[in-house]
Amino acid sequence: MTERRPAAAPNGKRATTAPVVPAARGQAPADEGLRFTTLPPKELKELNAKLGWSLNDVELEAIRAHFKKAGREPSRGEVETIAQTWSEHCKHKTFNGPVRYSDGKKSRVFRSLFAETIVKATKELSSPWCLSVFKDNAGIVQFGKGGRWALAVKVETHNHPCAVEPYGGAETGIGGVIRDVLGAGLGAKPVLNTDTFCLARPDYSGELPEGALHPVRTLRGVVAGVRDYGNRMGIPTAGGGLWFDDDYRLNPLVFCGTVGILPTWAVRKEVKPGDLIVAVGGPTGRDGLHGATFSSTTMDGETDRAAVQIGHPLNEKRVLDALMVARDRRLYRGVTDCGAGGFSSAIGELARDCGARVELEKAPLKCSDLEPWEIWLSEAQERMVLAVPPKSYPELERLFHAEGTGCSVLGEFTKTGRLVVTHKGARVADLDMGFLHDGMPRVERRAVWTEGSKPKRGPCGARGGPAVRGRLGSILTRMLAHLNVCSREWVIRQYDHEVQAGTVIKPLQGQRHDGPGDACVIWPVAATGDWEDRSGFAVGHGLNPSYGRVDPYWMALCCADEALRNLLCAGADISKASFLDNFCWASPEVPEQLGGLVRAALGCHDAAKGYGIPFISGKDSLYNQSRDEKGRELAIPGTLLITAVAPVPDITHSLTMDFKGPGNSLFLVGVTKDETGGSLLSQMEGCSGEVPKPDPKAAARSFKAVAEAISKKLVLSAHDLSDGGLGVALSEMAFSGEFGASIELDQILTSPAMLSDETILFSESPSRILLEVSPKDDLAVMRALKGVPARRIGSTTANPLIKVSGLDGSVVLETLLVELKAAWQKTLPELLK
Amino acid sequence: MSLIATGTTNLIEVRLRPDFADAAGQAALAQLQHAGFPAARSVRMSTVYEICGTLNQSHLQQAARELLSDGVTHEFKVLNTPPVLDGMNHWRVEVWLKPTVTDPTGESVRRAIAELGLPEPERVRCGTAYRILGKTTRNVLERVVRRTFANPVIHTFTVTEAYD
Repeated sequence: MTERRPAAAPNGKRATTAPVVPAARGQAPADEGLRFTTLPPKELKELNAKLGWSLNDVELEAIRAHFKKAGREPSRGEVETIAQTWSEHCKHKTFNGPVRYSDGKKSRVFRSLFAETIVKATKELSSPWCLSVFKDNAGIVQFGKGGRWALAVKVETHNHPCAVEPYGGAETGIGGVIRDVLGAGLGAKPVLNTDTFCLARPDYSGELPEGALHPVRTLRGVVAGVRDYGNRMGIPTAGGGLWFDDDYRLNPLVFCGTVGILPTWAVRKEVKPGDLIVAVGGPTGRDGLHGATFSSTTMDGETDRAAVQIGHPLNEKRVLDALMVARDRRLYRGVTDCGAGGFSSAIGELARDCGARVELEKAPLKCSDLEPWEIWLSEAQERMVLAVPPKSYPELERLFHAEGTGCSVLGEFTKTGRLVVTHKGARVADLDMGFLHDGMPRVERRAVWTEGSKPKRGPCGARGGPAVRGRLGSILTRMLAHLNVCSREWVIRQYDHEVQAGTVIKPLQGQRHDGPGDACVIWPVAATGDWEDRSGFAVGHGLNPSYGRVDPYWMALCCADEALRNLLCAGADISKASFLDNFCWASPEVPEQLGGLVRAALGCHDAAKGYGIPFISGKDSLYNQSRDEKGRELAIPGTLLITAVAPVPDITHSLTMDFKGPGNSLFLVGVTKDETGGSLLSQMEGCSGEVPKPDPKAAARSFKAVAEAISKKLVLSAHDLSDGGLGVALSEMAFSGEFGASIELDQILTSPAMLSDETILFSESPSRILLEVSPKDDLAVMRALKGVPARRIGSTTANPLIKVSGLDGSVVLETLLVELKAAWQKTLPELLK
Repeated sequence: MSLIATGTTNLIEVRLRPDFADAAGQAALAQLQHAGFPAARSVRMSTVYEICGTLNQSHLQQAARELLSDGVTHEFKVLNTPPVLDGMNHWRVEVWLKPTVTDPTGESVRRAIAELGLPEPERVRCGTAYRILGKTTRNVLERVVRRTFANPVIHTFTVTEAYD
């Protein structure tokens, strides 16, 4: 599928004046009777709706003007190709388009939202480890010693199909992102999959509209889909997350990510006129037509169901195996995957700067009754397109056939700057590349952000006295049992996270291999074959839509902060980290929604600049809203998933989060503030507060100091403080390691100086990390943390309980680890049996 | 491969022997109980392969024995007649992918049968059969199946009152 890229402004002019070749004489169009240029606007709109193009009025007019000038009618194949190419899915027109934003006080006009926020930050940083950003199917960064290897990283969303058919949707989602990595550079070998789901609570008991699936079914389906595809392809699934919020009930979110490894020489691809267009992989059928245009509309009961497919992991594995051999024999020059839009977008993209001639009758088909335009646009899975020099083709064909997968020549790349598609001599499409890629009219959207009105709820942690203190233990237990905190073992155990034998730090950690790890660390030795090089990489995530309900700007910073801390706690070198952004939002045509999206994008920009970490790839999925059971539009909460990848220079230095022994010192890095807005505490207790506000510059200094302590092997375990704050993080470390802990709240650095016990324990102030340090290293750690807000707050104990002394010196919380762990573990199994 | 099959169609049903615990069946039972059929008492699952082609009975036996089943834990039978109807609170639910949906398992089995040296089938489709014990009515069961095992977007299913 297409990587989002900044709109190419210089070419835009060429597009509008591009000559259009009149219909070739003596050659009938493949299908007649669209009468596109003469239809009255109303009927044209009806046709647009009926055929599922999802083009807006301005775009319809632009196409009409283009063909009027050409003096001919477009064929159906041409309109379909344009509709696919101009879809939200392929062109990301909101993100790349102009936006007029105002937040009450200031207003600002973005010529391209994406280029002026995320891309701008990346360009300004110009980090030397980035080899390819925002250009290819995936972001590519350096990896390992000696500059021989690179990592290709991509995270995709596959939301709409998963709402309709969770199993097939998740399968094709993970299959699609694996192919993105296979089509990055000259092809990377996938070594890790990740999956993150945002769903409604599995025990949701309210009404659902006709055709909507119950969240428990969606959960089972998407987990099974990722499991079956990843396991069957032999790729470990070792990272990800789950988030529950009932507003996802009609639009579940499914994020699938893949990391692949490729040699540095294979990062660049090119296409030369005269190269053959070769389709490899499965045959083409009538699967999933209109998947791309499908993502430009809101979902309702009548949504086109043909967009759903089932994945075929074994076919994709064959393609993978053959492709890797072909790459190393340098049999092809360019490759891309067939995602949304099928051949039309894959070939259209490869031929962007030259041109192509395609003969569709040469494509192998599943069934013989396909219309030519259907072959051109089918989204049958497990197919890729290669640019092959003619002399290499015979060897390539032998190779793919030996693997038992299809390989056929569809045509060749030309230097005409035109995309010419024929079927048995009849024209299906003859389009100018300039018009196709840059002729899209840009519609300015309006975005408004208004500071949320102050909620009427009381502030968190304001109450004091013995009554509240007695309840801290019960709050902690309920927090651990909360759906957004509880053990994800039910999901993780379904995935093979060990295959390829490189998972150094596993998703489940601790004495009994069931504690919640921060990030996984992968040593891709099976792919590199280099046993001397101990370089690995870590992948972590940050996601918290409930902060976004307060302010998406701070959500973006918090997500970036959390993703980085996750990597840091696994022992990664975050000074060379990279970010990926995945936005899922409701309709951008609603100014308030788009306002939130702009806030989040600005947050990403400031996070990248503040932490000094570039974004290398990303994806957005908009229009995530549907009509609910009462006929009202239900929008998802604006959601941003930040995925961070960083090298682990020596995998033997990586860390887990469980306590390693009794009597060790506990250091808390970072300042605890009165930041409970959007926190777990505020959701559970019905109170409110300030949303957590990271200070990236200060945080980056702390992280650097912690990284130094870790690299000197001074730290035994580390865990980041996120949902549920200190209370939850401390409990997780303790019950995973099966050692207790005793801490004193009056030792904790707070701001302002006076906070209540409850706030200190459960505030979700960002940039905080809890470290376990052997007492003999206390001084060395303090030296390493010099100039950084950090304090020794207590120690681990052999006694298996959590003991917290309050500000007045009395014990305010004393709970057995077994109780905490039982609460944390029982939630999902009880709901899913 | 064409959509219109010319060969004969046979069904091979593969299932765990009765003395082996059926974990997938137990998970399916929990789903049924959750989704509005609390009286369900047991579910055992089997995989059904619909094979269309020029294979004779001994070919089918060989494919079932060597490819589709495990000799220790599984039993199989080759069917060309529908199962015997015989109430007694026994139900049989079969879930199949719609003919327009790609069936990766069926496709792999088709190739694997050919690789055994048998005549390559024209078409293989793979479905799942649930043998359910529990007192209910057909309407209730159909509704529950729509909520659990079958998604009308990609599946078709049949509910029959049947004793094995």
